[in-house]
Amino acid sequence: MLEQLLIFTRGGLILWTCKELGNALKGSPIDTLIRSCLLEERSGASSYNYDAPGAAYTLKWTFHNELGLVFVAVYQRILHLLYVDDLLAMVKREFSEIYDPKRMVYYDFDDIFRQLRKEAEARAEEMKKAKPMGKPMNNSLGKKQGQVQKAAHEGSNKKKSSGESGNDGGDGENSKNYKIKNGHSNGNHIGVHESSTMGGVSDKENGSSNAGAFDVNKLQKLRAKGGKKPDTVVNKGSKVEGSKAEPKKKITKKNRVWNDSPPEPKLDFTDPVNENGDENVTVVAAEQGESMMDKEEIVSSESETEEEEEAGKDSKVDTKKKGWFSSMFQSIAGKANLEKADLEPALKALKDRLMTKNVAEEIAEKLCESVAASLEGKKLASFTRISSTVQAAMEEALVRILTPRRSIDILRDVHVAKEQRKPYVVVFVGVNGVGKSTNLAKVAYWLLQHKIDVMMAACDTFRSGAVEQLRTHARRLQIPIFEKGYEKDPAIVAKEAIQEASRNGSDVVLVDTAGRMQDNEPLMRALSKLINLNSPDLVLFVGEALVGNDAVDQLSKFNQKLADLSGSPNPRLIDGILLTKFDTIDDKVGAALSMVYISGAPVMFVGCGQSYTDLKKLNVKSIVKTLLK
Amino acid sequence: MEVDRMEQLKNQILHWKNQIRPWLHQGEELIHQIPPTQLYAAIGAVLLTTFFLLLFRLFKRTKFNTIVLAGLSGSGKTVLFYQLRDGSSHQGTVTSMEPNEGTFVLHSEITKKGKIKPIHIVDVPGHSRLRPKLDEFLPRAAGVVFVVDALEFLPNCRAASEYLYDILTRVSFVKKKTPVLILCNKVDKVTAHTKEFIRKQLEKEIDKFRASRTAISDADVANEYTLGVPGEAFAFSQCHNKVTVAEASGLTGDISQLEQFIREYVKS
Repeated sequence: MLEQLLIFTRGGLILWTCKELGNALKGSPIDTLIRSCLLEERSGASSYNYDAPGAAYTLKWTFHNELGLVFVAVYQRILHLLYVDDLLAMVKREFSEIYDPKRMVYYDFDDIFRQLRKEAEARAEEMKKAKPMGKPMNNSLGKKQGQVQKAAHEGSNKKKSSGESGNDGGDGENSKNYKIKNGHSNGNHIGVHESSTMGGVSDKENGSSNAGAFDVNKLQKLRAKGGKKPDTVVNKGSKVEGSKAEPKKKITKKNRVWNDSPPEPKLDFTDPVNENGDENVTVVAAEQGESMMDKEEIVSSESETEEEEEAGKDSKVDTKKKGWFSSMFQSIAGKANLEKADLEPALKALKDRLMTKNVAEEIAEKLCESVAASLEGKKLASFTRISSTVQAAMEEALVRILTPRRSIDILRDVHVAKEQRKPYVVVFVGVNGVGKSTNLAKVAYWLLQHKIDVMMAACDTFRSGAVEQLRTHARRLQIPIFEKGYEKDPAIVAKEAIQEASRNGSDVVLVDTAGRMQDNEPLMRALSKLINLNSPDLVLFVGEALVGNDAVDQLSKFNQKLADLSGSPNPRLIDGILLTKFDTIDDKVGAALSMVYISGAPVMFVGCGQSYTDLKKLNVKSIVKTLLK
Repeated sequence: MEVDRMEQLKNQILHWKNQIRPWLHQGEELIHQIPPTQLYAAIGAVLLTTFFLLLFRLFKRTKFNTIVLAGLSGSGKTVLFYQLRDGSSHQGTVTSMEPNEGTFVLHSEITKKGKIKPIHIVDVPGHSRLRPKLDEFLPRAAGVVFVVDALEFLPNCRAASEYLYDILTRVSFVKKKTPVLILCNKVDKVTAHTKEFIRKQLEKEIDKFRASRTAISDADVANEYTLGVPGEAFAFSQCHNKVTVAEASGLTGDISQLEQFIREYVKS
């Protein structure tokens, strides 16, 4: 059952909690959610898992951006509560009606909530019952669809915001899953029927939920696949199924040819499906290339989207015809509420811009989603354009991400370690050829300048010449170096080096490791051993600024491997990032953002040249400026 | 040479005068054509707007009635904010994602007779990712309240003193001599540390920071101000800003020392 449901402002004041549920939450899931998810620009995700001793919760949330409210539901992870999204959407709708910024106490919401919860639970129950039977499912789903549609209508009418449509999507997905399952078991015809109703729904909605229409397409594709699988198994019923799906597609294709105008084919599209659903007798050879089916499907869906786009263009032209006066009026008066559709073009442009700056695609996408989530439903201030609003929001988000979470004052940490008479150990890790040894020397030089005794440990016992390279640096900088030649276990070498350092009173030990690809299991195991054996004070990931999409893979895999292979409950992960070759990339500074976002670790140093002095701190402001230029 | 130049200048000015004269005549004629009432009205309107603009400027400049609540996440800033505003912490708080801002008459002073000037209080989130927000509010601050969790002080001591160090070393902040109040929150709990202990620990930590930071600031040209007297152990009394320490308890509503501080720097 639901553990807790909270409503609070973005400022952090709890407005309402469900007292009936009243279970004391173990740990502080809400604070953790906010700190490690919502403030890290991950609010685009759908749920968050919280682990604490004796508690495993899943949290779901939705925002009301215009009022600045956050709704969070907490439930036990083992219970897959299906109604939570629905419930949150309903609570949001109801609560935003009675919300008043001056009012702090909402005891009267208890009753409303009780009713909402009952409703949601009943619906979920119905769905659950319906799942194994099939036919009733159709009913309940139909109902659900109707409900969703209603919600969507309300969304478009009342200009209610965001999360609702997001939830619609979620519902759509849920029901989609059921249908696929269903298709496997038996009654495809129900599914078809279903899709027809859904198609109708999407038709009606059309403007407001393009996503819904798209889902229908996907759904059919999926079902076609579902139909395809049983075909390989000799099964008559499924053959019927497959064949049934096929003519449907053909018909839709014909329809496309006949009619050009966007709304009509859709209406036609529903009818033949119905016919098919009723026919389900014609047995066509299922071997007529199912793969083509998919292709056709794709093509048709593409054409549909094209049409939709065209329709969109038309409407755009229309708005243009309306003239600049109305648009100017809008800009002066301020637009009512931002909707996802309004934000999309600006976000897409922004995403492209980020990607030209070498930000990994995945991350650009996530960031845009998060920014969209934070803007949806907000009022556009007068004299501003959407693009500038989006840009401002993105800038804020970027500054937030790049601002270090932990202190990056290494000298301070070194002094603390010095007081405890322990050497401060820094391990440099990274893939091959990113400049670990070179930048290790730069860091050593920087530390030397601050009158700290440094020692190097040559733990790259893998690549020939690595020890000699480090020895050269050590000689030039007049630093002691600890080396044990090659063919030694690096973990042992590092351990001996640290012991040696505490003997001769060095303050800092810089451990050089062999470069390794993130997929190389044996080498990653060795690294994990090195780190776990020596428990260094700082694990510094050395990464190239040149890297693009691979940055995500490198860092996430390094972190993942270190966590998986450590064996201890609290594994050491990457603490900081050293970004190298920063002088070679001009304005493509995206790697910095990608790395920081994916790992949550701050950029501690930036290597920007060939000489020992070329080590800098990251300037967050200039990076953000460059990224958005 | 000098004289020559002067002569030249005089000649030029004379030349310009001759050129402008016909224009002036035209202008005078135009003015004579306009009925005098209209003229006066226009002049009056222009004067009035400039007057209002000046007044507006003047008021804006003197309007330093902002009190900023800063401190680490979880030290109880939001609770204090609502205690000041409503005299109650309502149903508790969670980590803030946005600053809480409000201009209001303190709750304890609502019952007082007479006209009381409302105070603008800002609660800046303590999460380190949201620290840049502080820059927006600090320049307008009449006073800064740095909230410290007296209960969980030792684990957070370093982070807290680093934050405080960052605030105290801003050049603009030092120049304005904005007063700082270190407020030890949650003193209602039995295991809470005393304010003297906290002050000493903070001073000690800041002293260490001073050593490491002055070393770094050579490297990057940050606009930082070096704290205290070199060669001496750091104490808050060495700061240009006036730093005081006080105790409060947000949950029980014992915030009299905080209110006193606010009233000291924002006169009613």
